[in-house]
Amino acid sequence: MKRIIDSSFLPLHHSSIFLLCLTSQSLSLSDYILNLPVILTLYIDTQCTHSLLCLYVSSRKREKSRMDQLLVNEASFTVAINQSSYSLAELLSSGMGGGGGGLGLRMGSLGDDGSGVGEVGDVSLEQSTVTYQSVSRGGNGGGKRRRGVVNFIEDDSSKLVSTSSDNHDLNESNGKRMKASGSRDEDRGSKTEAETNPLNSIKSIEEKSKPEPPKYYIHVRARRGQATDRHSLAERARREKISERMKTLQDLVPGCNKVIGKALVLDEIINYIQSLQHQVEFLLMKLVAVNPRLDPAIEGFPIKDVAARSFDANGTMYKSQAPEECGQGTQTEWPPLQVGSGFENEKHDWESR
Amino acid sequence: MTTTHPKNPTTHPKNPTTNPSSVIRTRFAVRFLHAMKKLNKKTPPSRRYHTIRAAACASMASAVGPRRAWSRAILRKIRARTLHDHLIHKSRNHRLITRRKSAGLRGNPRDQEEVGFRQEDDLRGLVPGGEGMGFCRLLSETAHYIKCLRAQVQVMTNILDHYSSS
Repeated sequence: MKRIIDSSFLPLHHSSIFLLCLTSQSLSLSDYILNLPVILTLYIDTQCTHSLLCLYVSSRKREKSRMDQLLVNEASFTVAINQSSYSLAELLSSGMGGGGGGLGLRMGSLGDDGSGVGEVGDVSLEQSTVTYQSVSRGGNGGGKRRRGVVNFIEDDSSKLVSTSSDNHDLNESNGKRMKASGSRDEDRGSKTEAETNPLNSIKSIEEKSKPEPPKYYIHVRARRGQATDRHSLAERARREKISERMKTLQDLVPGCNKVIGKALVLDEIINYIQSLQHQVEFLLMKLVAVNPRLDPAIEGFPIKDVAARSFDANGTMYKSQAPEECGQGTQTEWPPLQVGSGFENEKHDWESR
Repeated sequence: MTTTHPKNPTTHPKNPTTNPSSVIRTRFAVRFLHAMKKLNKKTPPSRRYHTIRAAACASMASAVGPRRAWSRAILRKIRARTLHDHLIHKSRNHRLITRRKSAGLRGNPRDQEEVGFRQEDDLRGLVPGGEGMGFCRLLSETAHYIKCLRAQVQVMTNILDHYSSS
């Protein structure tokens, strides 16, 4: 292993890295990992940090602690990596061609270990997208051992990983970022995912070439075959907001989970609200009927008891448990709240706040 | 709020839960009971239902506060109605008020964009203040409104049961 490292010091070419990767595969994982810092430092100088990511970690022998170490190492390089934004793309495109296939940035093992842990989140990864195509295709041809290929997609970098470093400012400064790219971690093994990624990565490259948008920009991921201009992205964000709210509504309304489709869910919600309102009216009528008895009983009214009760307001009236015998006459004098003219008081209340 | 409004949950002996729905329940319960107490002494039985319903709405809205669009709409309606009642003898003011009220409440009508025409419209009709907001906002308001309606039903059920049993 040492020999390889020494040899790679000299040429500092990608092919050497490539060789390194290939040979490392035959070594045990522990050896590889231990030597990792060396490799990493090596590449920082040359600003070929992306090659680091070529670290081919065999999926068979991973240990999570090692991975963490790996990540920490790589995360610390993020700053340096940032500057080498386009360098990798140039380098890779110039050199490798077929050799780039081996550079499949595979951190497959990392992906499996934890959500997003595997990815070295680097902003600069975006630039590697161009070469990605060849890389991913070559990588996928690799076969079984390369299960859980995680093509570093640029995008993932932002979300990543970086447990240790705060790349967040870096991430945000970039163009459209992906949100919920964590869900993609599970898709890693699929070839289709790998193939769509290059397209996305290319798009992200184009987006990155725009001047950086301000930080408050809505971060939405461009999916395959969808337009990436601002309008459609904004619409997509809006639609996702709406669907998110519909989900919360579905949770609120009982029996809405089985229904699928916006129209039906809305119907259910409308029915529920109507039934709740009818229930309130019904209770009010009952209260009016009961009302004459109220005056003597209202003094020791157990507010806490009344308020703390939880009922299933599902359109049916429920019997209560026996109310507690609490003399909550500890309550202080209630401030006057006139009904008729009390509305004005309430108005004053809110205005005074 | 500076006025000594009754029972914040903190002045109670420790509540087992301080989640938002129980807070709303407590506040609503207090105000509503208070309103009912006053109501019994004042109104003749003929208009009792009307007044008690208004009291329920008002106490719910004030318990929620002006933070939510629907509660603001209810409070606006109440204020407009009281103004209306007070100034009804002045015909000019009356006309002014009714005009302003309709303009304020109607807002700018939105197109039916989303699902079907019917659902969105119905929803807007149900949720107070639902006319003048976008669909997205309407959905979040609806969620909060449902929570508060549920709380209201629970409290009123409790009150009724307490009265019927004692």
